[in-house]
Amino acid sequence: MNNRHEQEKKQFKQLFQKEGVDAFEKRFKVLDCFLKIEQHVTCREITDQLKIDGNPMDTEFVEETMKFLCRFGFAHMVQFEDGPRRYEHRHLGMHHDHMVCVKCGDILEFKDEVLEKKQAHVAAAYGFHMLQHRMEIYGICSKCLKSRELMMPLCRARQGETCIIKSFSGGRRAQMRLSSMGLRYGDAIEVVSSQGGGQMVVATGDSRFAICHGLAEKILVQHAPPEMDADTPLTHGHGPGRLPGRKISLSDMKQGQEGVIVRVGGEGTLRRRLLEMGINRGTHIYVEKYAPLKDPLEIIVKGYHVSLRVEEAANIMVEDVQSVKHP
Amino acid sequence: MKNVTMALAGNPNSGKTTIFNNLTGARQKVGNWPGVTVEKKEGTLKRDGYHLKIVDLPGTYSLTPFSIEEIAARDFILDEKPDVVVNIIDAANLERSLYLAMQIMELDRPVVFALNMADLARSKGISIDAERLSMLLDVPVIFTVGNRDQGMDELVETAIQAAESFPMGTSGRKVKYNREIESLISELKTVLQENFQGHHPHPVRWTAIKLLESDQVVKKSLEELSPELEKEMTQLAARSRFRLETIFHDDPEIVLTDDRYGFIAGIVKEVVTLSPRKRADMSRNIDLVLTNRFLGFPIFIFFIWAMFQLTFSLGAYPMGWIESGVSFLSGRLDLLLAPGLLKDLFLDGIVAGIGSVIVFLPNILILFFCIALFEDTGYMARTAFLMDRVMHMVGLHGKSFIPMLMGFGCNVPAIMATRSLENRKDRILTILITPFMSCSARLPVYIILAGTFFGSRAGSVIFGLYFTGIVVAIASGRLFRSTLLRGQDAPFVMELPPYRVPMLKSLMIHMWDRSKMFLKKMGGVILVGSIIIWALSTFPRLENYSMDYEGDIERINNQAEIALSGAGGDGSGGMPQEMVAKISELERLRSQEQVEHSFIGGMGRAMEPLFAPLGIDWRSGVALVTGLVAKEVVVSTMGVLYGIGDGESDALKAALKKSGMTPLTALSMMVFVLLYVPCLATIFAIWRETSAGWACFNLLYTTSMAWVASFLLYQGGVILGFG
Repeated sequence: MNNRHEQEKKQFKQLFQKEGVDAFEKRFKVLDCFLKIEQHVTCREITDQLKIDGNPMDTEFVEETMKFLCRFGFAHMVQFEDGPRRYEHRHLGMHHDHMVCVKCGDILEFKDEVLEKKQAHVAAAYGFHMLQHRMEIYGICSKCLKSRELMMPLCRARQGETCIIKSFSGGRRAQMRLSSMGLRYGDAIEVVSSQGGGQMVVATGDSRFAICHGLAEKILVQHAPPEMDADTPLTHGHGPGRLPGRKISLSDMKQGQEGVIVRVGGEGTLRRRLLEMGINRGTHIYVEKYAPLKDPLEIIVKGYHVSLRVEEAANIMVEDVQSVKHP
Repeated sequence: MKNVTMALAGNPNSGKTTIFNNLTGARQKVGNWPGVTVEKKEGTLKRDGYHLKIVDLPGTYSLTPFSIEEIAARDFILDEKPDVVVNIIDAANLERSLYLAMQIMELDRPVVFALNMADLARSKGISIDAERLSMLLDVPVIFTVGNRDQGMDELVETAIQAAESFPMGTSGRKVKYNREIESLISELKTVLQENFQGHHPHPVRWTAIKLLESDQVVKKSLEELSPELEKEMTQLAARSRFRLETIFHDDPEIVLTDDRYGFIAGIVKEVVTLSPRKRADMSRNIDLVLTNRFLGFPIFIFFIWAMFQLTFSLGAYPMGWIESGVSFLSGRLDLLLAPGLLKDLFLDGIVAGIGSVIVFLPNILILFFCIALFEDTGYMARTAFLMDRVMHMVGLHGKSFIPMLMGFGCNVPAIMATRSLENRKDRILTILITPFMSCSARLPVYIILAGTFFGSRAGSVIFGLYFTGIVVAIASGRLFRSTLLRGQDAPFVMELPPYRVPMLKSLMIHMWDRSKMFLKKMGGVILVGSIIIWALSTFPRLENYSMDYEGDIERINNQAEIALSGAGGDGSGGMPQEMVAKISELERLRSQEQVEHSFIGGMGRAMEPLFAPLGIDWRSGVALVTGLVAKEVVVSTMGVLYGIGDGESDALKAALKKSGMTPLTALSMMVFVLLYVPCLATIFAIWRETSAGWACFNLLYTTSMAWVASFLLYQGGVILGFG
């Protein structure tokens, strides 16, 4: 790295002198400082760093310099979503893409050969000659993920995030407001939009709610596990732990699991029979066991035992599935 | 004496029949799974100047028009308009029970709630505020414990009171549906009221709701009343349904059901409290073993084996007693009656015929007792649970297993038990193959034949026969399912009731009910059949025998008299053994000749070519034909035809051996008996439950199967050198 930096400095000298750019010494200091910082920096950060190093300069001047540096290929300007302009080293021939953590602002560089090749293929498939590309992935870095296990107030969740309501730190009236909306512990909510200190709009299932900041502060949530997404189709339903918002069919549930019925399907006769046995929307059921031949299965509903075939159970959609010791 | 009609309604397993028994003292079945109480049972009770007619309606979970039990229950309440309907509710299952209760209340008759099995609910920690429930729904509510006969008086008093105060009171608070539905109901009601102007056949609100649900039975009855009105209502209802579908994105029935459950949930919340201390659920623990993944089946097979083992080994003792009893009786009659036609009728026809069958009564009693035990403890439902997968592969239901199991006892109640199957196709299919489950009446034939020709291996041979029956049943089932009876399976959804310690009294009642059917068969069909067969084998009378039997017997008797009077003159001693034997032998030969000469002999000879390829001689052939009357008659006919007049099976065995039968032919005969047409009683039962067409089909199918199977067996055996 250092060699390169030396090289760059030399090149810098040459180019700038050739172009006749003024204030060469000062600009060199900017370059030096920039090269030292191995991060994606903003002008501000460079200015600050210069100050610390004992070289106070105008922000405008630094900006201008950075523009020059970009022009000459020493730096590369990137602007991530809604953020300030950042600059990164442009090591010639070393293209890389970025991952940006929306929580802590960390910027990770990565380069994936397969991805790069794929991009070229795709372009070629469209008869497009790719000159250059830029790819940014926004998400949460591993450090932030680890510290995620803790609960946080809903107001701090980001747009697009899905969280699970874990707890509530408000008074009785606020609690009642929450339950009157139909939001319960364990419900998954997706943050549709959030504005700084104002209202949030969240969605659960098909309903949307506007939650004032005050209430959003009191609702404590946890991030939903990565597989959880209201829109992804479900391929299998076996899993320990709670998976609210996820609908699986009764036939996919295992012995010892319980859940709440969201939908009773099936054709006429079957459906009627299920309903008159008390198996309807909103009912809690517990899977007691499967028969020795794996079919039929026995469930406990409304306090009594019912048996039904696996193919019949497939018509019943259940959510809130979790494993319990006793029904 | 005022007359009051009281109907008992409720879920299956709610203890309704026990209460019915308590009130009426009548004999009833107390089964633990749906379908046992299918017919309406009636009884009477006199109390406080009232004459009560009590009707036990079929147990149902709901009152939809989709099964015969529900329709029967509903129609009774609508058409007969009982003075009061007592809803028997399992106190531990209030929420589900209320689903039926609310529908009953919509029928506008006075209703009383009897929260039954209150003791069990209490032990589960469930406590119900009866007063509050009564207030919320505006119906009288009482607690009862049916199997301890508690609360019966209160029930009757409350019911009478409710009946008396009806014209002034209401029939309880009904479900209030959501605004949309209520407004649609009003619309429909208005049109109905305009047209009927007070003379509506059924409650108007109820009719409106049923039209919204697209109830076909209601539609039809409306059509019969007034086709124009029906058309108008159908249109209006269709529009309303469409509206509901659009608003709620679901079937109107579902929407209504949801509302009902919502209403019920609200009530339950207010009325039921669960105490935090819940005792261990004994039933669940038992099921941990009995429906265990590994132990379930072995235990099940063990129970079935034990049942059959018990039936035969325990039954052997009373069998012996009855045998000696019968021969004693015939011995006495022999001495008492003057020789002649009447004596012959009695001894050779009636006593011989019935004697050879009654000997098997103990077996049958024990078998039915075991089945009653399964039903009353609740294990029967578990058998359906265990066997459904297998049944389903055949194209049947887990619920079909139980009737088929009962077929091992007697086909007649087994066929009646198929009423528990909701789907008509399922029912017909089960009925068609149940006769292949070798019924207990065929057992005497196996015992005699296998006992005679297979000695110590008789047990295995008989087991093999039963097994063959099952295999044929399954194969036929699959065949029918894929050809004649194609269609959807009925839903299997079935309640697994909690295990109960059965009351000995109800077990006995249960066992006796079934055995009664068997005895009736004997008293009726078999008796008549025996007499007919005797007649057919006695006439025309043979005048000239090949030997002078009479003369020979006279001679021996004279010799005996001389010897006795010479020896001491008391005359009370019996004849020496050889002389007795000689006389028996002569008599046997004589009656055999007689029989061969008679009608039945003629029939037998005529049918010989039919049976010859099966290795069955004409006497056995005739016996098989008489088996149409009842399978037990096969043995008694053989008894008659082989010339045994006293029902002793040993004598029959000896005679069989002498007649030229071999193990192979015996086996061929047994297979034929296993498969061919079931007895007349069964045929009539099939006719009643399905149709004449199916009954005939069954007759032809079973008999041809039997013929082919015996043919293959016998010819194959001959080829292989077993002949």
